[in-house]
Amino acid sequence: MNTEVILRAEGLTRKFGDFTAVDSLNLRVLQGEIFAFLGANGSGKSTTIRMLIGLLRPTAGRAVIDGIDVIATPRRVREHIGYMGQRVSLYQGLSLRENVDFYAGLQSVGGAELERRWGELRERFSLREVENEAASDLPAGLRQRAGLALAILHRPHVLFLDEPTAGVDLAGRALFWELIQEQADQGRTVFVTTHFLEEAEYCDRVSFIDAGRLIADATPAELRERYSGGYLVRASGLAGATLAIAAALKAELSQARAEALIDDNSTLSSEISDTPLEKQRRGHVSIKGSEVSVRLGSLPPERIATLRRAVRAAGAETLSIEPPDMADVFRQLSRVEGGRP
Amino acid sequence: MLSRGGHRASDAELIGGRKQAANPMLSRGDEMPAIELRDLRKNYGRRAALRGLTLDVEGAQILGIVGPDGAGKTTLLRALAGLLEVEAERASVLGFDLRQDTASLRACLGYVPQTFGLYRELSVAENLRVVGRLHGLSDAEIERRGKALLERNGLLPFVDRSTGALSGGMKQKLAIASALLPDPQLLILDEPTAGVDVVARDEIWQILEERKAETLIVVSTSYLNEAAACDRLIYLDSGRVVASGTPTALCAATPFELYRAWGALPRTIAQAARKLPFVVAAGATGQFARVEVAVDRSPGAAAVCAALEALPGAGVVLAARAPLDMESTLRALAVAGQPPARQGNVA
Repeated sequence: MNTEVILRAEGLTRKFGDFTAVDSLNLRVLQGEIFAFLGANGSGKSTTIRMLIGLLRPTAGRAVIDGIDVIATPRRVREHIGYMGQRVSLYQGLSLRENVDFYAGLQSVGGAELERRWGELRERFSLREVENEAASDLPAGLRQRAGLALAILHRPHVLFLDEPTAGVDLAGRALFWELIQEQADQGRTVFVTTHFLEEAEYCDRVSFIDAGRLIADATPAELRERYSGGYLVRASGLAGATLAIAAALKAELSQARAEALIDDNSTLSSEISDTPLEKQRRGHVSIKGSEVSVRLGSLPPERIATLRRAVRAAGAETLSIEPPDMADVFRQLSRVEGGRP
Repeated sequence: MLSRGGHRASDAELIGGRKQAANPMLSRGDEMPAIELRDLRKNYGRRAALRGLTLDVEGAQILGIVGPDGAGKTTLLRALAGLLEVEAERASVLGFDLRQDTASLRACLGYVPQTFGLYRELSVAENLRVVGRLHGLSDAEIERRGKALLERNGLLPFVDRSTGALSGGMKQKLAIASALLPDPQLLILDEPTAGVDVVARDEIWQILEERKAETLIVVSTSYLNEAAACDRLIYLDSGRVVASGTPTALCAATPFELYRAWGALPRTIAQAARKLPFVVAAGATGQFARVEVAVDRSPGAAAVCAALEALPGAGVVLAARAPLDMESTLRALAVAGQPPARQGNVA
């Protein structure tokens, strides 16, 4: 992963009268990263995005995107960024292709270059069949895909997607996220908000804003480790192997604990080990019949590989892992760090 | 602010409707709220939105309406709310005929549309007053019921706030409170939690859960956990009911097995898994690939796991079978829902 910072916000603040919508926000997004910007309704997400894309002047603070000072020169940032909101703005009376020509004209893309770029997007986004249909007739999933195509027609370096999948069906959401990931693979930075929390899984980093303050900024794995009951690992084998399997899982648990103690470089503000959820669920191996289970806070692929070797060597025939539910992670995060009662 | 006198005429109409509603068929407690649809059709010009939909629902419960975009979910909900002219062999909701008696029906139900339908300039309390008076409730009754509803949904501290200044989640809670104010037998909600945060979603669903013993709640949703929380689901596609049943029954009837293939590169794993002959679909999450296998082609869990772990270049560290979930269930129904010729025009 590239380590070049492409978006940086420092002390970004916006007040409306006495109300502080965004409070000294610091953000750092790396090039090519998919960065999730999550939070409750009214927490300041949209205000932040409006400041970052140069539509709203902050009360204080600064923001630099792709080397451009957004506050000093908001117009200059526009060719570097793409934006797509929850309600994609297509001119309803025009066909999709006419919309494309219109937007391309605004971005000074035309002629053979437009044909080439649109041709590629139209095929990859499966928009060929609806190209000549009126924008008003497009179902939600197609409209959002068309919106994404329009937002990247001018090849921006940073793409802002504000709830791009709201109101889109399951198949549409899956396809949309494939396209987002491809954009990131091509080096484009994606700054995205969503209320489908399982979508946070597709992101490299996840930040969470509450009452205008940033309360978390971490990888999905770090969030799962801090704000969930952990991965439920279950293994079973022949009756005679149960104790050996339990011993193998116990060894894994001690290893995980030892690593948790030395790993203290996170930017999260509280310790999950203080919460009742944590005490309740993690921390011991339990045996029920021939099934042995344990909850582990983190399970990177290499740990799964060693875990699998260890329990199979101990005689396990099955091994399954139930990951924490991302929605639970955010419920817990809101409870522990959020200002809401 | 609307004057009381200005609404007398419509009050009378609606009160008339309620009187009709008080026949033995419908008095609360005696009879269960019911929906009976036979061959329900709705065309918008040449486009058929509902193509012969048949549905029987009896009793208070949470009935979930799910399906892909354009399946006809909103049209069905609007039809059930008596807001559309429809054709049918039979179309009875709460004992009223959707083809004739929609004004009386509307007096007995609460409807929360997809787009926010309250007055943004009015306060929370004023909005409730408008709705209450339209339903012929006395001011004292509006005050009493309104307070209880706002206390329950946490909006009481914001009672004087302008509705336009509420957050998205609060607006939805107010829309639901307004719909519940006349104590309807039927509550219809069109994607009430779209764009709403997880905590507010939980609160909204708790309110629905509390109501479901006495009210028939019909709700559309695109969240998987909400679909799983319904008492019964109707899966619509192309204006028809493809399947209906409890989430558990629909899940049990799904001809897929679900596997998780864990590894550092879930997208690579998913791509490789799609090439296996028994795999129907594979998609990547952040940590593993979800792999769906057709039951009738499955060589058995052990063989599937071995094949996934042996995928060349995919780096699968563990493959394991997982319990089938709502995501797989809906995907299977989406496949089942594809008619041979999927077209938008009336045949």
